[in-house]
Amino acid sequence: MSLSTLTKPWEAMSYGFLDGSAKRELRRKMLKSVAVPGCQTPYASREVPMARGWGTGGLQVSLTLVNPQTRVKVIDQGADDSVNAASIRRFISRVAGTPTTMDTLEADLIQSRHRIPEEILREDQVLVLQVPNPEPLRPVQPNMSIARQMHADADYGRMWLQLYEQIVRSGRVMQGASYPSLVHGRHVMTPSPIPRWDVPKLHMAKHLTILSAGREKRIFAVPPYTKVEPLVFSDVPYKVEEHGHLTCTRSGATGFFMNEIPQDDGSSAFEVSDSEWGVKTIRARDGEGESRGETWYKDGEMSE
Amino acid sequence: MLATPTPSLAETRDNAAFDALLWALSRPGLPRDLPEPGEQSIVTALLDRECLVYAADPLLMPEIMRTGAELADINKADHVFLGAMDTSDPLADIIIGSDYYPDVGATVIVRASIGSGPALRLTGPGIDGAVKVQLGGLPDGFWKVRAARLRYPMGFDLFFVDGARVVAVPRSTTVEEF
Repeated sequence: MSLSTLTKPWEAMSYGFLDGSAKRELRRKMLKSVAVPGCQTPYASREVPMARGWGTGGLQVSLTLVNPQTRVKVIDQGADDSVNAASIRRFISRVAGTPTTMDTLEADLIQSRHRIPEEILREDQVLVLQVPNPEPLRPVQPNMSIARQMHADADYGRMWLQLYEQIVRSGRVMQGASYPSLVHGRHVMTPSPIPRWDVPKLHMAKHLTILSAGREKRIFAVPPYTKVEPLVFSDVPYKVEEHGHLTCTRSGATGFFMNEIPQDDGSSAFEVSDSEWGVKTIRARDGEGESRGETWYKDGEMSE
Repeated sequence: MLATPTPSLAETRDNAAFDALLWALSRPGLPRDLPEPGEQSIVTALLDRECLVYAADPLLMPEIMRTGAELADINKADHVFLGAMDTSDPLADIIIGSDYYPDVGATVIVRASIGSGPALRLTGPGIDGAVKVQLGGLPDGFWKVRAARLRYPMGFDLFFVDGARVVAVPRSTTVEEF
């Protein structure tokens, strides 16, 4: 053993910003989170040059997975061009030299804040979701030690009680985003604050989904072909947002998740939330070629 | 403005090895290629000073020691390299984590021959319906001992290495022999 075998050549910055030990730790934890779908695995969550709560968890997973061939797409609430998405995309390409894209079909790695793209993801794609609050039990049990015990016991009765109380008080389930879902029939997870519209896309999907909470230092995953069932009562079926009949004012796309834009006269206009889907629809409308892939929702209905 | 860093050879190898491991673990039973034959790339991709490692194969020791990982008994190790197995007994001692922290369960790397030997039918997360795989070179009763040890979500996760190919069987996978 000599000094040269114990050291490495000097580098201004590690490839992908994270140092070797951070990556190895994340790799070990990612493997465990895939092995136990939906179970929250603690990890160290290193510092990255971004405030906690702005996607540091997702960023660390992306930086561990990328190599110079990985084509990266980053979205924020469906949009590729919002400040947060653009900054993260630029950061990843700067520290890892990755090509970037806005096209869902071209991407190898998709880091997303709170939306799943409308086009069906393939087996070779990885979806990384940023998670602000990884603990689905927090509204019913703020003590995280007791919450962990409840996960260990699969003691999820209070989750149904919470939904029942919403139905009694308001006549319907009021949970808009982060709808608690049972993964592989064992662990209840929060699918990150994706709308109810997106939760069925995780069920038996072809792609691997990794959910990472940087501030809360927990990582969990949904492997491909894994059951993800929203918690429901047998007589109160799961309902997605009633956006199936809405039409995007800019692209004319109908039957997808929409952003509601308040107008001066008190009415609302709608535009499709997945910005790249809107762009592709406009291109197809203007005769610039068809680039749209298959979508999960067809005519506003989730296809089987 | 910093120049974009380029990955070193070691970084490229570790990244490719992890990519293979993650892909294999999320599609149990389907083989994937490691960047080079043997366990070495798994060792460098996953292990460092935070790990407790048990290795049955003395030839792996130098590589493991270089990572700074601590050697441990099999009933304490979080990464277990069993090499080519001739008895199922080691499986009885591998840690399986707790109901609180199932992730403490060990990662187990075994040498086997992929594509020959007894046929297995795998079902569970990551598998579209069912997948058939042949894994040879494993001792008698291997799958019975594994099934007896697993208390999902507690358990250990298996990687089978055959040259540069790797097949994973996580604890969530149900294995049937026929």
